[in-house]
Amino acid sequence: MPLKWVLHWQPNAGSTVNSQILSEVSQCVESINGVKEGRWRATLTFYKPHTREPTQASEFPRDFLGISLPEQPSKYYLIIRGQRIVLEADSSIQTLMEKLQSYKTRVALYFDGFQYQLGDFQLRVGKVVPTHSENLRGIVMEVEYLPISSMEKGRQVMEEFVDIWQEALSKRSLPGHFVHIEPNFADYGLADSYTSQHSAVQYATVMAQLIATVQAVQSMRN
Amino acid sequence: MECVVQGIIETQHVEALEILLQGLCGVHKERLRTHEICLKSSPNLGAVSSEVRILCDLEQPEPTWTVRHIGGAMRGAGAEQISVLVRTMVESKVSKNVLRLFYALGYKLDHELLRVGFSFHFQRGAQITVTVSSVNKMLKLHATDEAVPVTPGIQLVEVTAPASAESYSEVVSAVSSFCEYLAPLLHLSKPGISTGVVPTAAAAAASLMSDGGGTPL
Repeated sequence: MPLKWVLHWQPNAGSTVNSQILSEVSQCVESINGVKEGRWRATLTFYKPHTREPTQASEFPRDFLGISLPEQPSKYYLIIRGQRIVLEADSSIQTLMEKLQSYKTRVALYFDGFQYQLGDFQLRVGKVVPTHSENLRGIVMEVEYLPISSMEKGRQVMEEFVDIWQEALSKRSLPGHFVHIEPNFADYGLADSYTSQHSAVQYATVMAQLIATVQAVQSMRN
Repeated sequence: MECVVQGIIETQHVEALEILLQGLCGVHKERLRTHEICLKSSPNLGAVSSEVRILCDLEQPEPTWTVRHIGGAMRGAGAEQISVLVRTMVESKVSKNVLRLFYALGYKLDHELLRVGFSFHFQRGAQITVTVSSVNKMLKLHATDEAVPVTPGIQLVEVTAPASAESYSEVVSAVSSFCEYLAPLLHLSKPGISTGVVPTAAAAAASLMSDGGGTPL
């Protein structure tokens, strides 16, 4: 499948993300001739161990999450970032995990937005919101390059595209910028040829960044 | 959900059972070689203790992995009257690192088995699967090549069919009526209720072997 980079919005120090930024980003995609194609949505769920005593939770992973991706609707991805594990499963694994009653949902988030076509690129811009509210927690952007599936072979063209994109966006003087952090896929046992497991790992990485950003803002306020 | 019955048969009569099943199902058998790893939750994990089975299909050129949870059996007066066990069952095909994930989540190895035999999958009022297998235990961790039979000379026969809350009664009757065809060779009952081998097995097997399953029993 085509390779993809998942970027996230990094607000400048002292500023926070808001829907005005999301709207400007979407306009910017259209201004560089991105053709709006339709909606997309991924769902990310954080799990926490179900323990009899709260103190026992420390024995179990705290960074266990599950992701459903629109590119593979029949699949579900389970990730433990700390141990660099990504598992691809049929989506029925969600029911199975519920039956086990060993982990429960801590929080669930949507990555929700629009898809755009731009030549050989497909872009998806979306907000990060809890599944039960509209509180904006972040902005993500997927850049997919359709002709290539090798991460290495596609690196240059992706870097060039992202440079052009950043330049286009910089004209709008928004209080932040998009950041691409490439996880070490080899640590997860993933090869150079792109798969949905790569997407799942990228989302988990983006999520960790969003949490770190929120925590940094909170500690500044305190 | 699934409907399930089990029985046992002496290995010497398995060939006759195979002929009978071949005749009844009209499909070819599939070879079965499954490494089954049973995991249990750590004492502190979960609202209740839980069990999960990791299945590795060793018959495939590249082994494939499935995770399966078998839940409680349906209860109540109605459930007791039927001869088939109806229980919840959820499974999911997974990538090969599934064992590592469950260990990381706090599950521990309870026991492991190697099932070797054959299965038939066919449609007969329900999507029925019959598996005939010898159950083997491993003397060393994951050493499937050095597995030894748990019950030498005896094989396990299992008839299962997927069901839903709406359809289970039809599936139960489809499974029950299919089991009657196998009655001369083995008796099938709810798991955990062992009825042993049937006395007519030797004669029925001899009859099947002599005419290749052509004559109705």
